[in-house]
Amino acid sequence: MNSVRLRRVGMALLAPAIAIVVSVLVTTIVIAAVGSSPGDFWSAMFSDPSPRLRVNIINQTAMIYTAAVAAAIGFRMGLFNIGIEGQYLMASFAAASFAGAAYLGGFLNVAVSIIIAVAVGAAWAGIAGILRTTRGVSEVISTIMLNAIAVTLVGYLVDRHGVHEGNSVHTKTIKSGSMVKGFTPYEPRDGQVWALSILAVLVGVGFWVLLNKTRFGFDLRASGQSQSAALASGVNPKRMIVIAMMLSGGVAGLVWLPALFGDAGSYGTSYQSQLGFLGIAVALLGRNRPLGMLFGAVLFAFLSAQSNTLTFGTDVSPSIVQITQGVAVLAVVVAYEVVRRWRTRLERRVVADEVPAATEATA
Amino acid sequence: MRRLTKLSAVAAVAALALAGCGSSDSGGSDGGNKPAASKDVCKTAKGDGPKIGLAYDVGGRGDQSFNDSAYVGLKKAVEEFDATCVEGEAADGEAESAREDRLRNFAENGATTIIGVGFAYSDSVNKVAPDFPDVHFGVIDGFDPDKDVNKNVAYLGFAEEQGSFLVGVAAAEKSKSGTIGFVGGVHNDLIKKFEAGYTAGAKAAKPDIKVEVAYIQESDLKGFGDPAGGKAAATGEFDKGADVVYHAAGGSGSGVFDAAVDAGDGKWAIGVDSDQYLTATAAQKPHILTSMLKRVDTATYDFVKSVNDDKALTSYQVYDLKADGVGYATSGGFVDDIASDIDGYKAKIISGEIKVPTTP
Amino acid sequence: MPSEVDAVRLRGIGKRFPGVIANHDVDVTIRSGTVHALIGENGAGKSTLMKILYGVQKPDDGTIEINGNEVVLKSPTDAIDNGVGMVFQHFMLADNLTVLENMVLGAEKLHGIGDNARAEIRRISDRFGFELEPDVLVERLGVAARQRLEIAKVLYRGAKIIILDEPTAVLVPQEVDALFANLRELRSAGNSVLFISHKLDEVLAIADDITVMRRGTTVGTADPKTATKHELAELMVGSELPSPETGESTVTDVVELELHDVTLTDEFGRNLLSDISLAIHRGEILGIAGVEGNGQSELVEAIMGMHIPTSGRITLSGEDVTRWHTRKLREAGIGYIPEDRHRHGLLLDSPLWENRILGHQTEAPNVKGPWINRSGARKDTTRIVEEYDVRAPGIDTLARALSGGNQQKLIVGREMSGDPKLLIASHPTRGVDVGAQAAIWGHIKRARKAGLAVLLISADLDELIGLSDTIQVILRGRFVGTFEPSTVTPQDLGAAMTGGQTV
Repeated sequence: MNSVRLRRVGMALLAPAIAIVVSVLVTTIVIAAVGSSPGDFWSAMFSDPSPRLRVNIINQTAMIYTAAVAAAIGFRMGLFNIGIEGQYLMASFAAASFAGAAYLGGFLNVAVSIIIAVAVGAAWAGIAGILRTTRGVSEVISTIMLNAIAVTLVGYLVDRHGVHEGNSVHTKTIKSGSMVKGFTPYEPRDGQVWALSILAVLVGVGFWVLLNKTRFGFDLRASGQSQSAALASGVNPKRMIVIAMMLSGGVAGLVWLPALFGDAGSYGTSYQSQLGFLGIAVALLGRNRPLGMLFGAVLFAFLSAQSNTLTFGTDVSPSIVQITQGVAVLAVVVAYEVVRRWRTRLERRVVADEVPAATEATA
Repeated sequence: MRRLTKLSAVAAVAALALAGCGSSDSGGSDGGNKPAASKDVCKTAKGDGPKIGLAYDVGGRGDQSFNDSAYVGLKKAVEEFDATCVEGEAADGEAESAREDRLRNFAENGATTIIGVGFAYSDSVNKVAPDFPDVHFGVIDGFDPDKDVNKNVAYLGFAEEQGSFLVGVAAAEKSKSGTIGFVGGVHNDLIKKFEAGYTAGAKAAKPDIKVEVAYIQESDLKGFGDPAGGKAAATGEFDKGADVVYHAAGGSGSGVFDAAVDAGDGKWAIGVDSDQYLTATAAQKPHILTSMLKRVDTATYDFVKSVNDDKALTSYQVYDLKADGVGYATSGGFVDDIASDIDGYKAKIISGEIKVPTTP
Repeated sequence: MPSEVDAVRLRGIGKRFPGVIANHDVDVTIRSGTVHALIGENGAGKSTLMKILYGVQKPDDGTIEINGNEVVLKSPTDAIDNGVGMVFQHFMLADNLTVLENMVLGAEKLHGIGDNARAEIRRISDRFGFELEPDVLVERLGVAARQRLEIAKVLYRGAKIIILDEPTAVLVPQEVDALFANLRELRSAGNSVLFISHKLDEVLAIADDITVMRRGTTVGTADPKTATKHELAELMVGSELPSPETGESTVTDVVELELHDVTLTDEFGRNLLSDISLAIHRGEILGIAGVEGNGQSELVEAIMGMHIPTSGRITLSGEDVTRWHTRKLREAGIGYIPEDRHRHGLLLDSPLWENRILGHQTEAPNVKGPWINRSGARKDTTRIVEEYDVRAPGIDTLARALSGGNQQKLIVGREMSGDPKLLIASHPTRGVDVGAQAAIWGHIKRARKAGLAVLLISADLDELIGLSDTIQVILRGRFVGTFEPSTVTPQDLGAAMTGGQTV
């Protein structure tokens, strides 16, 4: 029995491993095809990151990981929340506006802002959930639409009510008393690991506990594996869809908060978009498993951070990193399906070996 | 099986999204440019003059707009001062820390003059500059986000409204229908300056002129890389009776030109940033009335020169009509007949007789 | 016509799946230009056999000869190349494409996609009376026309040997007659048809030869000119079957489940269930007989709270549960053995112990408050595996890896846990091997004796007659007859099920 479990773990690692090998190969081929040196590229990519980059990698990992968990909550029950992007945009804007308005002071301001971010993210995702359950609109379509609406809405609001400065505009800057800076592992100029990155850890642990230890998590996974079986087991599918979407959106609401309170201080030009899409990619790469996604988030953050160094010493465009990331995601989806079939066959064989065929006697 | 299909669909969406992050980028380093990389001035320059770092905005080289314009200035400076250079470009959706890292990388690798192209570099320059007091930083369109004055930073701004005023005059005088149009890429403060100047210029020339205004995006920077959106917006204005449309929409502008071509003879488009008549297709050329020039190349070159001359520019620098930082293009000869009018307004703006508004 | 070469000769075909022998020693000979019926009960191995003949599955033993040549069929493409085509019970058509487009899809090389193809479709349609218009959208076609299109597709691809999997299951009687007319045309044009069915009347009406399968093997052939339905039924069912006989009545006078005039309407306003009333007492097994698709699934789903009845009332232990949701009903003590265990009864990619929790997510020993009680669930799974003889290497095995019989035993064990008051058993022994069947019957009988009320739905009339205390026949969503199992024969039930007779 232990060998079964051991093999299962091995199998689970196999798919990402294949995916990474494939993406490294494809990247190498692409670089060679445009006449650059793959060797230079890989040695630059896998050079030891400078202290500054290490800090960046940790901060980025935290944000990407949070986005990945948000995506995974939906994925695990077969809901494809493509709208993380819009949800954390709305949430970030709302939290930044609230915190900047300084109705509250100090840490209380931060705490309430976090709650607001979660609520706004959940509400924005909940729209897609309700559209799905009441009108049958695919959440893929509605969340993509909601992304576009969020960008326009936030743009409009920040233009109307934000602080205009130079050519840019941002929400009111959060007072320093309500900033949550973090700690400085190296020189001050190398930056800080943002304190609210701890949210990513909490989200990751919470996700694992929810999924594996709770009734709700069981219902969620059952719905993801088989809608029909979940329905027959007593899961209320409509309620489940709305709750899962809101949970996913609520987590999405946390994505940019470490940067907001750790560094940016307002929603404006330093807002980082695209984390939602990175999160989806990482969720796919990590197969929606808490540890798998952690690995994926570190990998993506590492690749993105290191890509800047390509400017020096190589003639490879930093954009090539996006090829590596994209191929890794596509490859992992394919590899996982292949491995899954292989594993099923293997288990069947184990069962057949250990259990004598029941009908043999009647033959 | 259905599960796999749905999963693959999402993977494809994710891949597209990732590709999307890169697409505006690949426009910058677009296929055609890469093999020619060896011809880049930064690859070949081996002089012993100053080392220049140039950080492009999203879109990068090849945008036929201000990133390219900055490169023209860089090239001129490198050749003239026997300098060397390094380049880097922003990716859509990159972290603030990535911009910072880019600038620090330049400084640590020996660049003594560093220019950020685009106001998005304002914050990062503000953070990095104090750590490198001996390096001179310039930010195109930039501003100082806090009250601490940085002694080694120059904010290279442009009076886009003045240049836009002049093309507004041209549009109004060339318009037969009495209606002209404006297409902005993104509804932000910078682009609103273009709109304000353009409208003011048109009204100055013909007080009863009607100006149709459209923006492609409210805040999404995609508005600068969306030719289809540009075309849709411009077509709408042509349909409403406009016969001249001015765009301030970066890479989306080609769609505006196409809309003018489709609208037929006698319909005009006005380019922006660089002299777009020169880079337009043969079909578009007869429709490009003029272009509003924003001399990012001049600003870039000037800044490098000032550092080289040991008289480094600092604080706010405005490139206006007087400084030849903005202007209008005459390629194609379509505005030759009204050039004297336009130049008359130009003189009045320079003299201060006309004050051009910066907000619509 | 013994001089002619046989279209298909299957010799000694065997196919094993883990834990189950689907086919063994199967011999079938299809003469050229005949309609050959393959009959047998559900689970007799007919589907596996035709999948083998169509190249979907590879046999472990035996040989396949087509037109006298021994062939190895690795895929449906191989089968088509050898002139074998198959029409599945579930049509494989794209609704949003036209007849022509569906026809040429995947066969573009044969006659192109334009006028040549159109002409060929017309030719086939006219030749066999299919009445297909090439440019009509498939979504406009009725079931019978779709079926004709599927047959035409097979002919278009050059098949001379056509396998039809229970083609009449989806048709109304007039359509069946039309289909048979088409089949006779096919036969007269020299094609061979393998016709799979378990409806004996139809088989006798159309077939030239009959092969009977039982328990995975061919048990005999019959000549339709001389054979009677009774003889065929005996061949199909066999005599060595374990008896589902329940023995003495244990029916009490306490009503457990009661339905009053339950009507269920679909979104188009059609009645799926009309005025269904029934009562099941403790210790009673109520059997529902009916041709599949006459409202059995809807009845179960209405009771299980998956569909709320449009009108009528359902009570459980005297309490009105009409609008209760599935989970609440399950918590109230309903065990549910679903008709399709893969879709409704299991999480195939989860281990057995997680499947123990499914459907009982709120009950001990699976949970403690909002938390999953992992050790409790695992321990109880081990108990089920032992008590119900689920043959699996361990409780961490994925459900998918088990054979159908063992999956079913796990489900039965699970649904019997926690002493349910009412068991809804849909086809509890479908696709299950003989040993498991006897075991499942035993469990149901024991529970009945202990006072369990059971609603039993089955297509196996012997099972119904043997186990039930009362049998109701359902036809088009309506109860059309009540029978006493001790006196009724399968023939009586069959007649009532098809509307031949009401009591």
